[in-house]
Amino acid sequence: MNRYRVHSLVALGLVLASASVTPAFAQGTAVLPISDAKARLAVEREIASAAAKGLPVQPLVAKAMEGVTKQATGERIRVAVASQAKRLEQARTLLAPSPSVAELTSGADALAVGVPAPMLKQIRAAWPAPQSVVMPLDVMTELVARGVPAKHALEQITALMQRGATPSQIASLGASVQSDVAAGLAPDAALEVRARGVMSLLPSPAAAAALAPSGRRP
Amino acid sequence: MSDEQDLMIERVRTTLRESPDAATDARAVARVLATVWASPRPSFWRRCLDAWRMPAVSGLGAAAVAGLALLAGFVTRGSVDERAPQAPMTASGAATGEHAVPSGTPQAVQYAAAAGEGAMVPTQFVLDEPAAKSVALVGDFNDWKPEATPLTRLETGVWTVTTPLPPGRHVYAFMIDGTLVMADPRAPKSGDADYGREGSVVMVFAR
Repeated sequence: MNRYRVHSLVALGLVLASASVTPAFAQGTAVLPISDAKARLAVEREIASAAAKGLPVQPLVAKAMEGVTKQATGERIRVAVASQAKRLEQARTLLAPSPSVAELTSGADALAVGVPAPMLKQIRAAWPAPQSVVMPLDVMTELVARGVPAKHALEQITALMQRGATPSQIASLGASVQSDVAAGLAPDAALEVRARGVMSLLPSPAAAAALAPSGRRP
Repeated sequence: MSDEQDLMIERVRTTLRESPDAATDARAVARVLATVWASPRPSFWRRCLDAWRMPAVSGLGAAAVAGLALLAGFVTRGSVDERAPQAPMTASGAATGEHAVPSGTPQAVQYAAAAGEGAMVPTQFVLDEPAAKSVALVGDFNDWKPEATPLTRLETGVWTVTTPLPPGRHVYAFMIDGTLVMADPRAPKSGDADYGREGSVVMVFAR
């Protein structure tokens, strides 16, 4: 094969690779109802830039659409989309090796409410793939959003996970704390009480270790 | 008596039927037996088929199949129940209830129940807004598209919709008359650093 042919093949590969990114981006942004054409183009550029980095397009389109629905200005939408892309990229690193789109979105949401980045890594370590960390991350996000100190929230969630709590049980913890705080209980106290409640439903650590399926830490 | 002996007797019978005089002649019997032993061994599948045709074996087989069917049905029943339509959660109120796992539930049962964790959970949203001409639900689950999830107005003036949501934390709001976005007055609020317009939060999980 001569050099000309090799170059032609490389060029064809690049064209095909770019074509595979462009439609996905176009599908997501073609419907963005941003009236200001300049602002729409800026948002589309942000999304295209994120897509080129291998980030999922859907959460970024959703972020842009949120701005449209909330009647935000084009510039504010662009900034919001860029921030979301940054959080998604950070979450991808923290939740390695191969987080799902749902996990990335949950990770980005957690970072948005102020969950410290290293804690995402700790949750991933306590709940290794292929177990989904969507629910632990979502509950962590909710607890921190209600005012529970992130360190305390992480301790309780990982303790429950290590005792074999199901995602539903972890979610029920978040929902209970949410209602307790709404009723006037201090966030920290609410978490303490509700975590004990869920913990009391779980088997002893020894039994959890014996019954835990392979690939899941006791 | 083993299955192989049963098969051999059956082959002897067949041979004797073909040579009626063999039953009374010792040499003929010896010839028949020699023929039977020398005959090629049936293939594995043939032996399986023959074995299945025997009353005792087919009875056991039928029982085994019935047992397997019962087991499969029992297992499937558990997973189907998890995916069956559930009592809808209410975005404001019921979502904050206790998880209904009885004390002392064996871990294995909890893991089995967790098989349905990823299933969509019907979730009800309610807004008391009699003056509104239209109400839509917008949130991270429908990409904030107002046309995706319209609410229905009841005679009382209360608007409602029940929609399946994936388990997890969801941020949402109501869009009134196509323009005004408002948080759910009955649900906890979510901050919004990006746009500065707070929404509401619902924690969705399979009960």
